[in-house]
Amino acid sequence: MLRPFEIHQPASAAEASRLRGALGEEAAFYAGGTELLLVMKEGLLRYAHLIDLKTIGGLDGIGVDATTGALCLGALATHAAIEHSPVVAERFPLLAEVERSVANVRVKNVGTLGGNLCFAEPHADPGPLFLACEATVRLEGAAGARDLPIGQFFVDAYQTARAPEEVLTQIRVPRFGPHTRGVYLRFGWHERPALGVALALTLDPGHTQVADVRVAVGGVTLRPTRLRGVEDRARGRGLDEVLASLETVGGAAAGDVRPTSDLYGSAEYKGAMVKVFVRRAFLGAAARFNGSGG
Amino acid sequence: MTFEKEIAVALEVERVWAFLWDVERVARCLPGCREARAIVPHQRYAAVVSEQVGPFKVRFPLDIRVLEADAPRRLKAEASGRDPAMGSSLRVTLDLLLEANGTGSRLVIHSEVGLAGTLATLGQGIIQQQADGIMTRFAEAMRRELEAEGRAGC
Repeated sequence: MLRPFEIHQPASAAEASRLRGALGEEAAFYAGGTELLLVMKEGLLRYAHLIDLKTIGGLDGIGVDATTGALCLGALATHAAIEHSPVVAERFPLLAEVERSVANVRVKNVGTLGGNLCFAEPHADPGPLFLACEATVRLEGAAGARDLPIGQFFVDAYQTARAPEEVLTQIRVPRFGPHTRGVYLRFGWHERPALGVALALTLDPGHTQVADVRVAVGGVTLRPTRLRGVEDRARGRGLDEVLASLETVGGAAAGDVRPTSDLYGSAEYKGAMVKVFVRRAFLGAAARFNGSGG
Repeated sequence: MTFEKEIAVALEVERVWAFLWDVERVARCLPGCREARAIVPHQRYAAVVSEQVGPFKVRFPLDIRVLEADAPRRLKAEASGRDPAMGSSLRVTLDLLLEANGTGSRLVIHSEVGLAGTLATLGQGIIQQQADGIMTRFAEAMRRELEAEGRAGC
């Protein structure tokens, strides 16, 4: 049962931040509520005050930074808005593809990207994708704003680097260069992914050498994690050579993550699946150089 | 969930054994432990343990019963409690095995942690990692406390 609470409707992120500062731990920010209200109904969290961020104008915008070409996603943009955005379709079709598989239509219509990231549930799709894309998040508080690489944003299960009175206002995703392709592969039986692997592959202009690669995995440990060992095994090598040795390349993931057992699978199982999905992700990204972008 | 931690200290077993019965000092070593007190010395104790995972906070008032005390080798106790706000219950069996190690001692801390109720829906992986972290810090704090006692006694 949902207990009574008082709702506050600030007009700006600064006002929301001040409210949180004044109300303290009795208050929480409220975006789509798809995660928050569920745990409040369960009685796992009890707040006497909810600070509704949806009344802040402009936090749900989706646009492009004219200088850098980065995709700028307002934290209050819903999963459905991102999935159907023409800007996302043009600039970052991979994100629209990922959003299509997020949760269900009810969650998509009210659940927000910022809420998803701030809740930091270990089994979520956007985290690893943004990590592989080296996105940044903007946090705004009464004292000002700061930008943080998303790799520093995720701290642990349900824990981020966001200070309690800071509002996540924007996620910025750098534009892929002309020789970069990305894939995101999710695996699982439920709405949440048991495992998700995101990979951004950059080749040289001749498309024969791996100039750069970024791989991130979610659901395997308590926060999205970059597979730096895997990246090091592939970077600077010939594409054909990498694709011919994916067993070894994927095997490096064992040194990057120490999987945790949970209801989605044992640590051993997850470890084996990471290897399988890293291999598939390389093949998938390489195939995109012959077909559509991403 | 089962955890085993081991510490070696340069303090003879009798002094480690005496330390184990000093409720206030042992409680200080356990992260999140407050209000530890003896109800019936050497038999029954009470304490409150609080912990936090992200925004989720738990507070378990614990009833601790000594199951076995074989001086100065083995101390086994069981702690159980319920957090009514979270609709969850905790049961921990702590088995402390002490043996001489040269001129010092070796203490093996074996624990079995069981969590039931709504809190368990957060996921076994998270709870296991959290519990393992608590036991690791507990063992490390005990080692520091015992070593400080050894230095003070010299």
